[in-house]
Amino acid sequence: MTDTSGPVVIRDRAGAVPAPPVARVIRGLSDRAIAWLFIAPTILLLLAINVFPLIWTIRLSFTNYRANKPNVPLRWLGLENYTSILADPDVWQAMQATAHFVIWTILLEVLFGFGLALLIDKKFRGHSFWTTVILLPMMLSPAVVGTFWTFLFQPQIGLFNYVVAFLTGIDPSSFQMIGDVPLAPWAIVLVDTWMWTPYVMLICLAGLRSIPNYIYEAAEVDRASKWRQFWSITLPMVLPFLMLAVLFRGIENFKMFDMVNLLTSGGPGSTTELASITLKREAFEKWRTGYSSAFAIILFVTVFGAANIYVKALNKVKQR
Amino acid sequence: MAEVLLDNVTRRFGGIAAVRELSLHIGDGEFVVLLGPTGAGKTTTLRLVAGLERADAGRILIGGHDVTRLEPAARDVAFVFQQYSLYPHLSVFDNLAFPLRSPARRLPEPEVRERVTRTAELLRISSKLDSKATRLSGGEMQRVAIGRALVRQPAIFLMDEPLSSLDAKLRAELRIELKRIHEVLGATILYVTHDQIEAMTMANRIGVLREGELVQIGSAQHIYEEPSNLYVATRLGSPPINLLPAGVLPVPDAPAGTRTIGVRSEHLRIGKANGAAVQGVVTRIEHLGDQNHLHLTVADHRLVTLIEAHADLAVGERVDLALARPLCFDAAGVRLGGS
Ligand SMILES: Nc1ncnc2c1ncn2[C@@H]1O[C@H](COP(=O)(O)OP(=O)(O)OP(=O)(O)O)[C@@H](O)[C@H]1O
Ligand SMILES: [Mg+2]
Repeated sequence: MTDTSGPVVIRDRAGAVPAPPVARVIRGLSDRAIAWLFIAPTILLLLAINVFPLIWTIRLSFTNYRANKPNVPLRWLGLENYTSILADPDVWQAMQATAHFVIWTILLEVLFGFGLALLIDKKFRGHSFWTTVILLPMMLSPAVVGTFWTFLFQPQIGLFNYVVAFLTGIDPSSFQMIGDVPLAPWAIVLVDTWMWTPYVMLICLAGLRSIPNYIYEAAEVDRASKWRQFWSITLPMVLPFLMLAVLFRGIENFKMFDMVNLLTSGGPGSTTELASITLKREAFEKWRTGYSSAFAIILFVTVFGAANIYVKALNKVKQR
Repeated sequence: MAEVLLDNVTRRFGGIAAVRELSLHIGDGEFVVLLGPTGAGKTTTLRLVAGLERADAGRILIGGHDVTRLEPAARDVAFVFQQYSLYPHLSVFDNLAFPLRSPARRLPEPEVRERVTRTAELLRISSKLDSKATRLSGGEMQRVAIGRALVRQPAIFLMDEPLSSLDAKLRAELRIELKRIHEVLGATILYVTHDQIEAMTMANRIGVLREGELVQIGSAQHIYEEPSNLYVATRLGSPPINLLPAGVLPVPDAPAGTRTIGVRSEHLRIGKANGAAVQGVVTRIEHLGDQNHLHLTVADHRLVTLIEAHADLAVGERVDLALARPLCFDAAGVRLGGS
């Protein structure tokens, strides 16, 4: 086991000298060296733009660093940032707002997305046209969506208030979706659901299309009702896809910033101030860089941990 | 169990008829095998009986009731699909129990367990009951699929090439097993295959399909010995029947109008060259283990026939040939001189 480079082992086993790998002949480099050469740029790039900033953020999270005052000497705070974040009622309020947002959007998107997928999967006339129409919101940029719903939610001229008024008979200027404290959290849930239901639908549709037709035929011959077919075939077979959609939407919405920032900027008061909006305030309005770094790390660990547990569950479901 | 009647059933797929004016009666407790090449409409026929396909014309009766417009669930049939159609996320046990747990049936759970275990033993998959359906080998999957039909006692079993994906040994075993099940349960079975051995060994009657039409139906022996035309004659027999133009070999008392002669091994007498009227040349001898094929050339026509293992013949040798009661066909391919 002293000088075992690859080819030597091969020669020993095969009992004959194999032709040396082509790469070795051409450049005098081993296959392994060439492999490294190919992946090195990617690794360097990842280190530079992912790993390094992460480590830097972790470092800053233990200090009193302020990005607007780079000349103030750094003071090492230990865990002080972390303890004060966990004791901060504003942070907990932001977490609550985030939880409300994430849970309700996932619930509604899964419900509507799966429902729409079931309808579209029936392949009625013009179903491909409707699929395209349904997918439109997802293709818009969050910035566009935020701006455009601000107009729709305008109490005087907005279409939304007008439609609600038309359907229910309420005075259209009697409520403001993004101005009223009880309504604002639902306004952002509504817009996100509008935008991302198509995405969940698409994933569910992929799941539905992956179920071969003959399974339903077998079930039909086996005298399973449509209802039983849904519960014992459709749902279990789409479940892994559905869970994947929930994972993607969960992570995305836990980090939600752009659309909500444009729509409500966290207001009124701090009713729609999601974690990432609080984070942006701390980092770029109050310039508490060390503190916000610690907050960012906490959010990261939360998402990372939750996603990992979830993926384990997902794998269990897949293996069932 | 019940008798099944197809009455002039037609099913078209955009212009072309996959099944054309097919009439077929399957008696109560009968084992009928449909034989035909790929695309002959075998699967479509089964799907029509099961109700997975709607007849464009004609009627289908199960146990005397017209089921032509009924849903599959209302027809009480069991179907073994050509592809293994298992429920992939369920265990083998749950796959087998699935049809029994139908609310329409309301079987108590101990009885379900009883029947599933019994069927699993029959098909030798007892050790796999807890495995997930997708973790099985192809042969095991197909046995589960067969089992899912056998747990029930339907009016008729419909089986679409259920043994085609199994290895030869298992196929032979299951052939006997299916035949036994048929006898024990008195099951009515409509079975589709393109394997002539399966057809010959299991069927009470064989129906030969060609492009959606039933060409001939009868007992294995009847189909083999008295095929109504060339097409049917070529479907059965191993090695396949040899077709020669009339006149190559002399046929004693050939009916008038004979154009083609069908020669099977049992129709051919081979002897050492001894100055007979017609002679052939041995071009090749194939030893297949259980049989030996002798290839001959007669006036530029090739013949393949069975010979016994230790026949004293060599390649290049000339042999005397004579025919004994071969099959004679007219210009249209219809067999002559038959009853
Ligand atoms: N759903 C369908 N749509 C269009 N054509 C079909 C459909 N099902 C069957 N056919 C056509 O009907 C004919 C008969 O098909 P069928 O599946 O019954 O053949 P088969 O005898 O079972 O063949 P195989 O031995 O290959 O299974 C074929 O030409 C096929 O292309
Ligand atoms: Mg078929």
